[in-house]
Amino acid sequence: MYWPLPVEVEAGPDGVPSAVESVAVDGVREEWLVEDGWWTPKPLRRRYFELVLADGRNVVVFCEPARGAEGDRSSGEAGRGRWFLQRA
Amino acid sequence: MSLPPYVELHCHSAYSFLDGASAPEELAQRAAELGYPALALTDHDGVWGAMEFAQACKAFGVRPIVGCELTVTDGARSFHLTLLVESQAGWRNLCRLITEAHRDTRPRPDRDPLPPALPLTSLEQRAEGLVCLSGCAREGALGGAFERASGRPSAAEARAAERLGRRLVGAFGPGRFRVELQRPFWRHDRARNRRLEGLAERLGVPCVASGDVHMHDPSRAPLQDALVAVRLRGALEETEPARRGNASAHLAAPATMAARFAEHPDAVAESARIAERLGFDLTRDLGYRYPGSEDPDADRTLAEICGARLDHRYAAGRERRRARRRLEEELEVIRSLRLSGFFLLHFDILELAREVAAEVRGPDSARALLPPGRGRGSSVSSIVCYLTGLSHVDPVRNGLFLGRFLNEEITDAPDIDLDFPRDIREKLIPRVHQRYGEERSALVAAFACYRSSGATRDFGKALGLPAGEVERVARTVDLFDRPDSVESDMGVAIGAERAASVRWRALARLARDAWGLPRHPSQHPGGMVISTSPLIDICPVQPAAMEGRQLVQWDKDSCADAGFLKIDLLGLGMLSAVERTVDEVARVRGEGIDLSRIPMDDPQTYRMIRAADTTGTFQIESRAQMQMLPRTQPESLDDLTVQVALVRPGPIQGGAVHPYLERRERLRRDPSFRVPYDHPSLEPILRDTLGTIVFQEQVLQVAMALAGFSAGEAEGLRRAMSRKRSEKAILAYRDQFIAGARGRGATRELAERVFEQIRGFSGFGFPKAHAVAFGLLAYQSTWLRVHYAPEFLCSLLNEQPMGFYPPDALVHEAQRRGIEVLAADVNRSAVECSVESLVAGRSIHPAASGELAVRVGLGYITGLRTEDARALVDERERGGPYAGLADLASRSGVGREGLELLAWAGACEAIGGRDDLRRRDDLWRLGVARGGRRLAAVRRATPVQLSLPLPIPAAPSLRELDSWERLVADYASTGIAIAEHPMTLLRPSLEHGVSSSADLEGISDGRPVEVAGMVVARQRPATARGVVFMLLEDELGTINVVVPPPVYARHRLAVRTASFAQVGGKLERRAGVVNVVASTVRPLATPDQPRADVRQIEPSAERETGRPASGQRSASDARAAELAAVAPAAHSFGRRGR
Repeated sequence: MYWPLPVEVEAGPDGVPSAVESVAVDGVREEWLVEDGWWTPKPLRRRYFELVLADGRNVVVFCEPARGAEGDRSSGEAGRGRWFLQRA
Repeated sequence: MSLPPYVELHCHSAYSFLDGASAPEELAQRAAELGYPALALTDHDGVWGAMEFAQACKAFGVRPIVGCELTVTDGARSFHLTLLVESQAGWRNLCRLITEAHRDTRPRPDRDPLPPALPLTSLEQRAEGLVCLSGCAREGALGGAFERASGRPSAAEARAAERLGRRLVGAFGPGRFRVELQRPFWRHDRARNRRLEGLAERLGVPCVASGDVHMHDPSRAPLQDALVAVRLRGALEETEPARRGNASAHLAAPATMAARFAEHPDAVAESARIAERLGFDLTRDLGYRYPGSEDPDADRTLAEICGARLDHRYAAGRERRRARRRLEEELEVIRSLRLSGFFLLHFDILELAREVAAEVRGPDSARALLPPGRGRGSSVSSIVCYLTGLSHVDPVRNGLFLGRFLNEEITDAPDIDLDFPRDIREKLIPRVHQRYGEERSALVAAFACYRSSGATRDFGKALGLPAGEVERVARTVDLFDRPDSVESDMGVAIGAERAASVRWRALARLARDAWGLPRHPSQHPGGMVISTSPLIDICPVQPAAMEGRQLVQWDKDSCADAGFLKIDLLGLGMLSAVERTVDEVARVRGEGIDLSRIPMDDPQTYRMIRAADTTGTFQIESRAQMQMLPRTQPESLDDLTVQVALVRPGPIQGGAVHPYLERRERLRRDPSFRVPYDHPSLEPILRDTLGTIVFQEQVLQVAMALAGFSAGEAEGLRRAMSRKRSEKAILAYRDQFIAGARGRGATRELAERVFEQIRGFSGFGFPKAHAVAFGLLAYQSTWLRVHYAPEFLCSLLNEQPMGFYPPDALVHEAQRRGIEVLAADVNRSAVECSVESLVAGRSIHPAASGELAVRVGLGYITGLRTEDARALVDERERGGPYAGLADLASRSGVGREGLELLAWAGACEAIGGRDDLRRRDDLWRLGVARGGRRLAAVRRATPVQLSLPLPIPAAPSLRELDSWERLVADYASTGIAIAEHPMTLLRPSLEHGVSSSADLEGISDGRPVEVAGMVVARQRPATARGVVFMLLEDELGTINVVVPPPVYARHRLAVRTASFAQVGGKLERRAGVVNVVASTVRPLATPDQPRADVRQIEPSAERETGRPASGQRSASDARAAELAAVAPAAHSFGRRGR
């Protein structure tokens, strides 16, 4: 049940989600980064958000961006990439 | 003036040792690029990098703030606090706190140190002048507790955090304690920071934002991860919880940091407000003084000491008048610089050394005639040093220039380096601690920095790469180290395909990024600092790895920047070897040698020097020196002075060597030849070195004569050239030099050419005074080698490691000169090597070297414990020679393992009871012998509890070792092949047409040639533009091999790693020097070839002849492979530079 599932997320230019599956984001509780496994053929780069949605749900989503998180945000490319729902 | 939006107050450099991935300079430079007005450095539990950081910040226009992140304990709890220095009192407290935190880290000097930790109660007593932040998110005093509770601490945890917070507020006051907020982009950042903000409100103190920086740029994040894995001795996969998890711990721009803490703008602004308060300047506010600096009588005392000795040293008349004039000039300079106390301090230390030397040598020793040590470096040019005993070279007679050592414009205390024999130095260092007090003296630190080979091993393990392949890569890159060498050489070692894999590429990148970064602290070979006030108020002091020693947390550059008086008490191996020789000659021949009275023009000695027959001597034994000696043909100590200074990077890069050699040869052929000088003003300065710049002070003198520099400016130029971060400074001097030279009539072209010579020199040269001291030691060591060859060889073997050649090569070379070397023997050997008579029945005082032999000591047997060897010898001296193997096992107290080592080394062959040599029999029989047991109370008359002397049964029929196996056993046990040279055994199986070293004499210049031998030394000087020099040794002599860069590129693995090599190329004969210029280099075998168990069924005769049966793999290859595993490693030389 904890496998990440692809999810549709709308994000602003800073990469912060504004809606998850068309449900508006009420607030961002936490935001964190995981950048690991750079020594393997499949390096891990994930930008996580713990969100409170307008319908009352508390969800964790993450984006696997094409590039490093902070640089992406400043370049306006943050939020591009694939989004996943970590926990329902 | 408005405050900047943010100042970074929590930043780690690589001086956090395996928890920081950037050098202080990189952080300072990046801070300047990002527009930081100030930056703090807060390394873990130390200020190792603080001075380097402060200097770098000044260079980049950033205001340095110093501090540290200290590990503090309170009961069972341990946490971090960030301490920042506000004032001089704060620095003093920080140094004392760090010192206390390290005090008990070395309960067992032979083990790894324990982690430093400071009791909270100690911190509470020394909070003055320090600003305290509550520490990092993971292990900080407050943040750590909340992070461990995933941002949601229990009520008890919250209360405990608040109690701790109140204690810290109580200690530092609300004005100097802040709750630290960090945003490492971890799962519970916001929750944790909200909790911390609430706690700060309850404590009544503001919050402050910080970045917990561990790197200057995000590209170093992989290195930071890898360093953590190295620190925890695990693989990257295993150490995930301790790593940072992302690349956010880099030095980010102030605006980026303000955005990260958008919810805490006051905490961001508070960082800038605190930075404004932290005005302590490490480059200015230390307040260091050396002992004697405030002595009002120092001038008079020094003048009296020198005056009294001057009359004794110089004969009345012109010489004494000259000396007196020189002394008065020097004393005047010393007085004006207020350095009399400095010289008296050195004098005091030398007197202390005299006491120590008398104890170490004993009153009756032949060495008692010798001074306790001798000066090196520029101090040798001072008559004050000469008269106070700090130097043994007369500066008046030798025409030594003082300016490099002392001039009116110097701002730092001059360097005085003192060389001591190793045994005296070992005792002197703790004695200095006692004399000046544990709190007032300490050794200077040094840092083990990452080089390619070490980085390959460390990071290869962290990446989980196969250990064998990692080791192969590490050995491949070992010799010619550059930051990118792993990347470029990996393919050679493990194949291009493998090297292209992700993990191996990651290894190459890590090795490149880590190159030059400090890995762990260690101690400088002999640099000591001594202070009037307690050192622990100026720099933290901590126990060193060696018992009874302690070190300051700064290296020699930082100590110099701090203006510390550093005294170098260096251990010089050759000085020890020379003293040992004097002792051994007295013991064996009953002759006392006073080295200060030996003839300085001994024809036999100079004949040997001119023929480059100098293996084992000081300085002039290297391959480069040996190539040069036949051309320079030294005839005097003056010539030797130039000779030892010539083969240095400075003269080589400055283009001095070839002009000097050519002019010297021309002068010899044509005494009327006029040496050309670039400018008439340079003639008096460069006359001794035939118009070339060889000595360091010639740089100063040229700058003064040609460009009108003052002595202080010239010294500034020299210093700029000798420091690594000085390119801008050198360029500034260049403009001044050219302008000055043109003002004195030189053309621009000439001025530029001379400056480039100076720049090429770059400070990597000897001052003449130093060269005089070294030239003298070179002569003395050669004189001893010529006249007391066995004793000299014996001393060299006992002082290893030292010099250019491994012991095996020293022994072979001595054997070729007819010196007999005897194998270790339980009934003849001492613990160390010793000289014994070859004449039956005569033990000492034979007449000539030919009647003497060198006996290898039992201490040379690898793995045999020194106490076992000592016990064996003591018992033999007490109870007489061992009658047989049973007697040895019963009386010696050597355990089973030690007895096996003795047997395998052949040390029991003489008592085995047979005429032939049967190591396997001895091994078998000792295996069944019942040994005695050594008793703890060593003062008993019989320190070994004897076993019953039961007869040992005869060994079954065992095949004895053949020559080859004996050779392998010799190398494995003592590292020395005495009986036969390996090439004697390998030669029959070499290809037809391979010449020996002796054959080369009959081959003319330019002829193709093929040679083979054991690789004794490899050298790739940074000055040789990629040329590699190899020295091969065969059974008849040595062969110089020159490997040009393209050949090296094709055969580099063989050049770097082969123990035995076959080289094809062209013979080159120049001025009596023979080289083989290589076109191919191949190993005679690779160490990876299987150890041939097949030898057990091979017919013995075939093994002995080495001729393989048809269709078999080359026997020489198999044997060389076997031997390569145990053969002594070649000595590799090459200057490392980024």
